[in-house]
Amino acid sequence: MRIVTWLLVIAGLVLVGVGVAAAIGQASSGAQPWGNELSDNFTFVKALPFVLGFGVAVGLLMARTYGAKVRSDGAVRRWSPGTVFGHWVLTLGFVLALPTGMWQYLGGILDVNLPIPLYLFYRVHYIGASIVLFAVAAFVSYLSMTGDRSLLVPRGEWGRHLLGLAYELPPSLRGRYAKLLRIDLRQPRPPAGKFTFYEKVVEFPSWSIVLALITITGLIKAGRYVVPVPGFVLWLASTLHVAAMVIIVIKLLDHLRYTFPRWSLMGAITTTWMKERAPAVGHGAGERGSSAAGIAGGGDT
Amino acid sequence: MRRFVALLGLVWSLANLGVAYFFLTSAFVAKTAAKEGILAQLSLLLGGVLIAGFAVLLARECLRMLTAAAASEPA
Repeated sequence: MRIVTWLLVIAGLVLVGVGVAAAIGQASSGAQPWGNELSDNFTFVKALPFVLGFGVAVGLLMARTYGAKVRSDGAVRRWSPGTVFGHWVLTLGFVLALPTGMWQYLGGILDVNLPIPLYLFYRVHYIGASIVLFAVAAFVSYLSMTGDRSLLVPRGEWGRHLLGLAYELPPSLRGRYAKLLRIDLRQPRPPAGKFTFYEKVVEFPSWSIVLALITITGLIKAGRYVVPVPGFVLWLASTLHVAAMVIIVIKLLDHLRYTFPRWSLMGAITTTWMKERAPAVGHGAGERGSSAAGIAGGGDT
Repeated sequence: MRRFVALLGLVWSLANLGVAYFFLTSAFVAKTAAKEGILAQLSLLLGGVLIAGFAVLLARECLRMLTAAAASEPA
């Protein structure tokens, strides 16, 4: 079975190469009256089915690495190697697509031009977007193959998770949050599993929604020269694409703010392993506290 | 490694503070009002405030990491 997966990945890679080369060949042949930006747009749109297909094939391979493991020293595998790979591919895509997308927006708002031609920003943006779409397709394929739902809040468990999240919030926010959602803080703090309540209630759902939003709106924007898109739909897609970009900028800052002090999370997303079951907040060589200590010493989030 | 990551985080938060500055100042110029309208101005204002707020929070964590790393070094 593994050999079949590898063959699919290799076939996907070859098809991406052929598809992208054909799209670039057509765009640069001079047969079409396209400028640089339009040529890149067509190349991007035509390469997308190949990129998405390749992503699905790689997702199948990523799924082969799935499975709970415990090391002899007690460390648990928090992420599969496939997830770690997908996470860093997604990071690379954002590193390319986010600053270039931000400049396209801010350049228009500020009405300024850099010495670098704008089409080069678009080109890098399209490359970054292709990488993001590849990663999204790979993750969808991976999750459908493995059936992993460990980052989702199970049905009927929202009350427990919202209570758990309350205890992970800083004390200054906890009371207001509990009052808003009518959470009884006299109940004991529920134990967190492999993932914190913040990761399950806030991080994963919001990343999923914002990734879906930027993907769908980006596809509508990019496909407008291939498929007729009504003006209102295009305007809405453009507006939501920018909104999703700003939310991703904010989410990224929050993600780094959350993970940096929990160094074990940084280790887990690099090595796949985590020594302690719940991530502890700490700076420097010694950890400052644990999830449980968060109740007495302040919030964990 | 932690120090390097903290420095990268600090650079990222400073870059985002720059973005927030452009968002906030653009929200109050007449050109944006004329070209984009009040909704875009409000979005820029809200976006700018949130980006600045989260950039400050990240910068604070990075500075904590840097000071903790310096304190844990042998004298």
